[in-house]
Formats: sequence, structure tokens, C-alpha cells
Amino acid sequence: MLHFKYLLWLAVGVLLPQLVGSATLMSLLTQSLIYALFALGVGILLRQCGLVSFGHAAFFGISGYSVALLMRDLELGAASAIVLTLVALAIVAFLLGLVVSRIPGIAFGMLTLAIGQTVYLSALKSRETLGGADGLNINWPSSIFGLDVRLFYDPASMFVISWVVMLVTIYLLDRLFRSRFGSITSAIRDNEERARFIGLHVMLPKAVVYALSAVVSGLAGVLSAIYTGFISPETLHWSVSGTALIMTILGGVRYLWGPILGAIFYFFVKEYVGELTDYWMAMLGAVVIFIVVFAPNGVSGLLMQLQERRQKRKQDVIVRRMEVRS
Amino acid sequence: MIQVPFFSVRDLVVDYGGVRAIDGVHLEINKGEIRGLIGPNGAGKSTFIDAVTGRRIPTAGQVQLGGEDITQLAVVARRMRGVSRSFQRTSIFHDMNVLEQVFLASHQAQAKDPERDAVAILEELDLLQYADWRAGDLGYGQQRRLDLALALVGSPSVLLLDEPMAGLTVTESRDLAQHLKRLARERNVTVLLVEHDMEVVFGISDRVTVLELGKPLAEGTPDEIRANPKVREAYLGSAA
Amino acid sequence: MLGISIFNGLVYGSLLIICASGLAMIYGLRRVVNFAHGALYMLGAYIGYTLSLYLNIWFALLLAPLAMGMIGVLLDKAVFRPLQERDPLSVLLVTFGLLLVIEDLVRAFWGRGSLSIEVPALLADSIELFGNPTPLYRLAVIGLGVGSMVLIWAWLRFSRTGLYVRAASTDPLTTAMMGVNTERVNALVVGVGTALAGLAGVAAAPMLSLAPSMGADVLVDSFVVVVIGGLGSLGGALISAILLGQVQSFGTIYLPGLSAVLPFLMMIAILIWRPSGLAGNRV
Repeated sequence: MLHFKYLLWLAVGVLLPQLVGSATLMSLLTQSLIYALFALGVGILLRQCGLVSFGHAAFFGISGYSVALLMRDLELGAASAIVLTLVALAIVAFLLGLVVSRIPGIAFGMLTLAIGQTVYLSALKSRETLGGADGLNINWPSSIFGLDVRLFYDPASMFVISWVVMLVTIYLLDRLFRSRFGSITSAIRDNEERARFIGLHVMLPKAVVYALSAVVSGLAGVLSAIYTGFISPETLHWSVSGTALIMTILGGVRYLWGPILGAIFYFFVKEYVGELTDYWMAMLGAVVIFIVVFAPNGVSGLLMQLQERRQKRKQDVIVRRMEVRS
Repeated sequence: MIQVPFFSVRDLVVDYGGVRAIDGVHLEINKGEIRGLIGPNGAGKSTFIDAVTGRRIPTAGQVQLGGEDITQLAVVARRMRGVSRSFQRTSIFHDMNVLEQVFLASHQAQAKDPERDAVAILEELDLLQYADWRAGDLGYGQQRRLDLALALVGSPSVLLLDEPMAGLTVTESRDLAQHLKRLARERNVTVLLVEHDMEVVFGISDRVTVLELGKPLAEGTPDEIRANPKVREAYLGSAA
Repeated sequence: MLGISIFNGLVYGSLLIICASGLAMIYGLRRVVNFAHGALYMLGAYIGYTLSLYLNIWFALLLAPLAMGMIGVLLDKAVFRPLQERDPLSVLLVTFGLLLVIEDLVRAFWGRGSLSIEVPALLADSIELFGNPTPLYRLAVIGLGVGSMVLIWAWLRFSRTGLYVRAASTDPLTTAMMGVNTERVNALVVGVGTALAGLAGVAAAPMLSLAPSMGADVLVDSFVVVVIGGLGSLGGALISAILLGQVQSFGTIYLPGLSAVLPFLMMIAILIWRPSGLAGNRV
């Protein structure tokens, strides 16, 4: 049943590019999808640990730089450079997570912002190795993981690739969070002190989720670096972290697909409201405030609420009919 | 043969915000004993439990469990040795369902069969029919019992209860007291019970210790405490 | 060289402490991590710019913080108070939304380009200090930093409100039960905290150019200061602001390659050493 649902969504993703006529819309969708994965990384940290990161652009951007450097300076193949990057990212984020999860949750946002800006400024200043403000062009080989590199440049096929990556990620995360590990992290997020008093080590699980969320965002960074063939300090800037967070908030984190919806929503607002006014960021800010205050589960939460209500009404109708009959 | 007390606190001192909240408390509890701890407001009862369970670092003194010094152990390490507690202000996992959190607590306490243990505790505390409820949706009395369930699963060796009956009606607290007594006896748990409700404490404790201003005032069986003139004067007043 | 470096560190440290003390105060009392604090600093600088055009910079230095103070009171009444029962995370996210709104509003009013305020004529000269020519204005900024700290200290130490603020930042619940009009004090403190952000903004304006994005750097550094100092602790913030000012200025001169990473490394080192910051367990 569960797998059937995933197969259905897979079919949707494969068919969607066939149905979209406009090239602008297609590239908008592909870009949204890559950012959706990024936002998912930010979202699982919020969902499982109640932590808000203002520095995930670091993971998003570093992975691109790292893959570029591994291929350029160590002459690794694309696949091994990508795998190595994600493994290293997991280790670094885990260690970082051990340090930052020592301080109260509310300060976490400040810390991550500081970490993110540090990475941004370092990349900006590193002219020789990282190309300074200009960034780096990445020379991808003709095939990556056995796929023709041109498939990654074309918005329609890249959409399908990103879609598959995302479905697999969501599937794995869903399995993980339904396991005992999910229970443990929920308990810690819910009431850290009580968690310790029932015998849970609280730091380790937090660091693991932090590492996971870094890897998911890093994966998005890799996809973005392949798609654009380019990496610059701009991807590390804190406003990029902020963007991912906005997407996460808009979509809501109760459901894993919330941040994805949020990313798509964000890009459509940017594209279509951005045409009407220069000050769409202010409007987005107002929407964020509205959602945080009145709909903490975001757009996905609202949708699920609507559906529940409809189901209930349907049930009510059935009950009434049965009453009439009897 | 000298009997070594199962759980003992020696010359415990706790300074808190420039005030000496606990001033040299000495306490010895035998295995399976239910000990009541009473005293007027500000006597330091909660601070005492906090210091014993590792929520607050004591300034001086020692806490021993089965002969081992556990004074400096972290909270998690204490729980691994069977030291468990409940909270005066209900402390549960609001967003998780009832069975899931009790099961998790049981599993962490390394119970042999966590699922059966969790179900048994829930049944004993009349919570089984709420097993799939979100804890935040329970009523106050049920949340108090859930707090207790989290402390009781996994057969702890020492259970420290910080006013478990706070905010319950008289019937509810009498009822809970009976559950508590049965569970403690069945599982051979050593209990330190801090409670405001005198009748509850006298009704289920084997022995009672009275604290006043961070110092022990008296110790004895419930009847001895009831009859102790010092206690009557300091705490019970004319009401007793 | 060494003298200049220490001096510049002090100038930046002074600005930081003015700004960060506002942040720490608001956190101490309201338990709000205010992500809009940098945007308020920026707004203060822009209001100061307009005032300096129509009046002069002295009025700007006086009136802009005052205006920001009123905005702060408004912020408390319209945002922090209605949300005080909510999860601190929600409030943090709301301030993040505010940051986006304020930045765009400033863009709408003052444009996207960078503006500048001139150094007041009285302080335009330089004097010889330890054998180096030292701009008087920078010296005045250090004076401003010291002056504000002394005033805040005296306020907290000797006034009734100050007593309450100190009590509330250690134990908000008990203090609220003591029968103080907490809401008025809260509004006042958020007002003062916001005014301090504004003051730092105006004071910094003649030394750098104004841009809507100028708040980000200050916000990051203020966060580092507050985290290192111990959340909500003013004394801790003071020490860590001075420390950070020196680290930044030494880093720029002696370790240019590492200068961006130094504050961060300092923060990580201190957090590993003392997870609740320099001020210890006052969280």
C-alpha cells in the first residue's frame, strides 16, 4: 500500500514534464524541486528536533565547492567526488551537531547563522582556491553515475532525476522516523528534560538528525551544482538559508512533503508576484508571520485539515443515511 | 551483621541562589521501603529530590545506591542504575501518544519485555483505554498518572515521587495512593514520596521523615510522627 | 600598528556592545531571540540619515534612537506581548518575517543605493594619540559606548525598574508574582533595547555607507556576542563584545586569511569550554 503510493507519485513525476508546455514553467519547476530538497533538509531538523537553522546554505553551497575541488584538484571521478563529499559532510555536520546541540535550542538559530556567514565570508575571500566572488565553473565529465550529463542540464529530464532523488529521500526518511529513532527524537524535541530522566542520551540523536539534514541539503547542493554547472559564494549567503527556511515554514513540517510544497509555492510567488511588485519579499515576510501565528503547520497542514474535514463530512453523510434507513 | 541501607543520602548540602536550601540531610532507606518526606513549604523537599536525581548539583554530601556513590553521575547514568522520578509540575511528552512514550521509557530502562511492561503499567494506572491518545489531549488527572507511569516502567530500584497527588481531588489521590502502594510492593521498589497530603503519606509510608528549613526535624513510623510534639508544633499545627 | 589595531577593535567593540546589549536585554526579559534586531539597527541608521539631512547629525543621534524606542514599544505591544504564551520558536520566526518586511520597507522609502552621513564638523579632525593620527569621531564612538554602558548599568543598579529587570532575567515567574506591572516594564525594556539598536546604527553611519542589507553583519556579530557572553547576560555581553572587537581587528591585520573564521572559532571554543557562555548558568 505504502509502496503503491510511492509508485503512483513516481509516475506523476515522470509524466509531469510531458504535460508542461512552457519552457519557463519547466525550468521554474526544476529549480523549485532542487530547492525543495534543500528545504526538506532544513525541515527535518525542525520537525525532529524543533531546531531552526539559519545556516543551511553552508551545506548547500559547500557540497558544490567540495565536488568541484575534488574533481579539479584530486582528479576524482564525478561519482566518487559526490559520494565522498556527502560522507565528509555527514561527519563534519555530526561533529558540529555535537557542539551546537549543547546550548539551549533557542540560541541554535543564532549559532547556525554565525556558522553560515563564516563559511560565506571565507569563500568570498578565498580568491585563489575558490575563485572569490566569481565562484567556480565546474567541468563535469560526459556522464555522471552512468547518466549522460546532458540529461542533467535539460530542465525536463533534470526534473525527473531530482524527483526520483527526492522520492527516495522521503521514503528513507519516513522509514527512519517511523522507527524507534523517530520516537527518541520526538521525545527529545517534546521534553528534553523528561527525555533524560527516562534514560535518553539527548545529544547524540540531535547530532545525527543535524548530520542527516546537512546531507539532504548537501544532496540538493550537488544537484544544483550539476544543473547550473557553476558554484559561487552567493549560494552560501545567509539569505539563501533564510529562503530555505521560508519554504519550510510556508509548507509546514508535520508532513515530510510540506517543505516541497513550500518550495514550489515560494518560486511561484517569486515569479508571478515578483512581476507585479519589487517588494515581494515584504509580502513573503508578511505571509511567513501570518502562517507562523495562525497556521503553524503551514500549507500542507491546511490541506490535510481540509481533507480531514471533507472525509468527516462524508462519514457524517453515511451515518445520517444509515440513521434514515433504520 | 550490619545491614547496609539500600539507598542512603549522607550530609547533603545544597546552596541555591545564595540560600542554603538543604543543610545536612541524612537519610537511609531499606530495600522495598516506602518513605514519606514531609515538611512545610520551603522546607527544601523538591530541592532534595532534584539533588538526589541529578537535576541539581549538590554543594556537598553523598548519595549512595546499593553501596555505590552516585552523587556525581549524570541523569541518564542514574536512570540506568534504576533511579527514577516523577515531577511536581507534570512532565510528559505532549505530542506523543501514551503507549509510545511509556514503551520508549520502558525500553530505555532495559525492561525484559518493554511492551508487556508498558501495557501492565498503563493497565494498573487506568490509562490503557487512552493508549493511542495524544498525551496533550488527556485530562489533568490522567496526565499526572502518565507522569507516574513514565517513572514506574522498567522496574526502577528507587523511585522518587515529587508530589504525585498535586492538584488531584481527594478521591483521586486516595485511589492513586493505593495503586502506588500495590505497585511498589509487587515490584519491590524503594520509594521516597514527597507529598503535601498528610493522610496519603501517613496511609502508605513505612516510615516518615520531616524536613524543616532544609534540616531533618524528625524521623519515625507514621504513628510516631503523628505523636511527635516537635512536628505538631512546627508543621501540623493545631489541625492535626 | 598595534595601537591602531587595539583602537579600531575598541571602536567596533563599542558599536557591538551598544547593539548587542539591546539584543541581550530583550532576550533576558522577553525570552525572544530577535532576528529583526539587525534590521532595526539599519532602520535607525536610515532614520538618522533623514534627520541629519533636515536638521543635523546631533539631532539625528538624539532623535533617531528616540524614534526607534517608540517603534520598540510598539513592537512589544503588537508582537511580543500577544505572542508571549507561544513557543519561543514561533516568536523567533515572526521576528524573521519582520526582518524581511523592514528591509523591503526601507528599500521602498530610501531606495536600493547606498547613502552616507557626513562626520559632524566638530569631530571631523584627527588628534595625535600614542603617536598615531586618530579620528576624533572614532574616539567619540568609544566614548558613546562607555557612556551608554555606564548609563545602562546605573539604570539597572539604582532604579526600581532596573531592580525588576535584573530579577526578571533570573526568574521571570517569581518576579511576575511579586506584583510589578510587568507589561509596562517589558514594553519599556524592549523600547530601550530597540533604541540601542538604533543608536548603534546612527553612530555607525558616518563610518560606513548605508545599505538595506547592512543589518546582517551586525546581527551575526551581535549573536556571537550574546551567545559567547551567556544568553541574556549584559555583563557577559560587555566582555565578549570587547573581546570580539579585538579579535576582528587583530584578525584583519595579522591573519587576513582567517579573519572571517576567527569569531566563529572563538565562539566554538568558548561553547565547548562553557556551554552556557561566559556568564555561566544565568540562562
